[in-house]
Amino acid sequence: MTSGLRRVVGTVALVLVSFLITALILRVSGYSVGEVFSGVIQGAITATGASTSSIRWAIPLLLIALGVVVGFRAGFFNIGGQGQFYVGACSALAISLGWREGPAGLVVLCGTLAAMLAGVLWSLFPGWLRVRFGTDEVLTTLMMSFIGALVLQYLTAGPMRNPQGTGQTAASERIPETFRLTGGSGVSTTVLLLVAGVTVLVWLVLERTRFGLTMTLVGRNATMARWQGINVRRVGLGAFALSGALAGLAGAVELYGPAARLVTGFSPEVGFTAVVVALVGLLNVWGTVIAAVFFGGLQSAILFLPIVTDLPPPALVLLHGMVAFLVTIKFRAVRRRRAAQAEAPAG
Amino acid sequence: MTAPSGPASAGAPAVHCRSLGVSFGAVRALHDVSLELAPGRIHALVGQNGAGKTTLAKVLGGLQVPDAGDVRIAGQEIPPGDVRAAKAAGLAMVHQHFSLPPSFTVAEALELTAARPGGHALYRRGDLHHRWQEDVAEIGGKATLSTRIRDLPVEARQSLEIVRALATEASVLLLDEPTALLTPTAADALFERLRRLRDSGVTVLVVLHKLREVAAVADTVSVLRDGELVLGPADMSDVSQGRLSDAIVGPGARDDTSVGVATAATGTRHTLLELAGVSSAESAFEPGLGDVDLRVESGEIVGIAGVEGNGQRSLVSVIAGLSLTEAGSVRIGETEVTDAAPARRRLLGLRLVPFDRNSEGVSQSAALWLNQAALRLLGRRRRGSPLISLRQFKRRATEEMDRWRVRYDTVTQPAESLSGGNIQRLILSRELAPGLEVLVAAQPTRGLDFAATEFVRRSLQGLRDAGAGVLLISSDLDELFELSDRLLVMYGGRIVGRFAGPYDRRSVGDAMTGAVR
Repeated sequence: MTSGLRRVVGTVALVLVSFLITALILRVSGYSVGEVFSGVIQGAITATGASTSSIRWAIPLLLIALGVVVGFRAGFFNIGGQGQFYVGACSALAISLGWREGPAGLVVLCGTLAAMLAGVLWSLFPGWLRVRFGTDEVLTTLMMSFIGALVLQYLTAGPMRNPQGTGQTAASERIPETFRLTGGSGVSTTVLLLVAGVTVLVWLVLERTRFGLTMTLVGRNATMARWQGINVRRVGLGAFALSGALAGLAGAVELYGPAARLVTGFSPEVGFTAVVVALVGLLNVWGTVIAAVFFGGLQSAILFLPIVTDLPPPALVLLHGMVAFLVTIKFRAVRRRRAAQAEAPAG
Repeated sequence: MTAPSGPASAGAPAVHCRSLGVSFGAVRALHDVSLELAPGRIHALVGQNGAGKTTLAKVLGGLQVPDAGDVRIAGQEIPPGDVRAAKAAGLAMVHQHFSLPPSFTVAEALELTAARPGGHALYRRGDLHHRWQEDVAEIGGKATLSTRIRDLPVEARQSLEIVRALATEASVLLLDEPTALLTPTAADALFERLRRLRDSGVTVLVVLHKLREVAAVADTVSVLRDGELVLGPADMSDVSQGRLSDAIVGPGARDDTSVGVATAATGTRHTLLELAGVSSAESAFEPGLGDVDLRVESGEIVGIAGVEGNGQRSLVSVIAGLSLTEAGSVRIGETEVTDAAPARRRLLGLRLVPFDRNSEGVSQSAALWLNQAALRLLGRRRRGSPLISLRQFKRRATEEMDRWRVRYDTVTQPAESLSGGNIQRLILSRELAPGLEVLVAAQPTRGLDFAATEFVRRSLQGLRDAGAGVLLISSDLDELFELSDRLLVMYGGRIVGRFAGPYDRRSVGDAMTGAVR
């Protein structure tokens, strides 16, 4: 338990250090640090609609990050949430536009399931490569992400393009308003209940089912798991599938929530930030919830800051990057230590 | 192949070491080993696992700093642990495991590792091939200079290692268990090669496991046992195979060749585990099984003796379902499981104590309770809630671990915080829980101290007396003699001897070393 506490303190310290370094850089660049951070607080919490906006951004981060947590539990590092998120959103869009006349509840249900299925397929392919050939899933899931982004670009610029659209970036038609779960704010009781339910479900699966405990054994030492009669490949594929389903679900929630249509390259970093969210959340469900809210707030602040300061938005992306950087260093160090103990779960 | 340079000074031994001592913590790997090897001959070094052979080879090659003693190669004193000095004095080493980078071509690997004079920092492929043209012929087979190392068959890789070692004009060639991975035919070819080297003036020191091989190639033989030199170097013509077996296996061979066997109370017997004509593919470091017939009945301990690396791992893998059979059938109880998944075999009552308790037996970083509960995660529950009660899992784990007197603070601490003996108790508490029909115990007492060893042995006997079947794989002959109701000897993936107590240490030893086939 004390080692768990140490990890929490370590991670919080890490985030504080990131703030410190960012403050230093801003200071040296001639900005008023006090003003900037007061702007961050406003943009994330106190300004009108700021906390709603923080939650709105926390939702996709949380869903995708939960997928990262699931994958990691079984020893796999699914960083392809971005692509799985995109193909999920595209599938939900296809169902919704193709069946506009359908009963709203049914269409949304089908769209959501299709989104999850698409996410599953998008992550199962790298997963299969991993368990069958030992291909590094970090590379393959990342590459599948790029393909996912191109699929989105193709659909929004091609078959699903809104012919009436005048914007410079390609976008799809809007889905009927009746299909939407939230207004433009992206937050509603329905969505909050859905996300809370999914979070609890993921926690139950990880911590209170045989499958979850088996994943833990496989992730920590696949050799031992194999000797215990556990089908390591099947467990690995299950973890990849669940991981992808969560990212796909995030895509559907985005579409039926704030987006209502898909724009090429929307939320281009959410899938990657989610990896950092999961790591900052110590790959633990409740930690990830906290981290998602934190990064959601940061995202909201990034959008708000230009209003109150002369600070360009990328300056806060710096903070973001700093956290990611430090967390990754810490994570790699831990992972290398673990890799020395047990052989990689392949074949 | 370049001509080897002759011995540095006439009459000086090619290798001369005095009073070498090496300890790893409390373990004495070498103790007061003095050895003089005459130039231009093939010297064999033999001994059981852990006798100190590889340590001695490493000390000679400068890879291991001895705690005491000194080493001379061709009359030149080698500073302790100085690899370069050993090389400069003419010593070349071929290691037990291959050291060449698999993705390199033969020419690249040679250029990288052999350091023949005249190389350049930058090279053209053509030049490289020109430089190593003659050497590749030595490798034999279809190997060319542009073949990738990983595509070479095992024998060719071995040859290449030797070519590499000799490319630096070595006068002393040291090979650490070169035949471990070779087929008998390939081993014979290697021996022929060593003889030619000897005839051209090279001194060869070769670490071997099998007496048959020693007889085939060596001019002299030295025996290490428990880190001490107990025989030699003696001319092969002066040493009988029997004397050699005795020297390797230890005292007690001549006068009391029989060791008492614990007898089991047996009721009606039935077969719990049966292998019929099982063959399997060889793995990277072990021969596969060859036509293995084996049966374990209720209320008996069947011992498997053999020098390590003779198929014991293949045997356990095949029984556990971790590797596939090529022929034959495996049954657990009444059920044919030849193609069944590992989980099914576990559910039928197969329990395993794996070879390496730290990597195969437990998950080091996982909590004790999860390690303990691993087997209870198998199978699907059709009825009831899919959720499990952690409290129940932990309570059960606590009970089982307490029953087996595992010493721990909390059930949530990681397994790596336990000592070896305690980890083995944890494994036993999991594997020997109710539901067990047959136990396969692989080296269950290795590395354990006296008390823990006794505990494990008594546990196996307890199982047998309770009517279970035990297959015990061990490299400790005394343990096998004490516990086994029947003893099988493995050699080269086959069962080459079947014994019933009282055991004759010498004939078991002969079978283990391949002296009888």
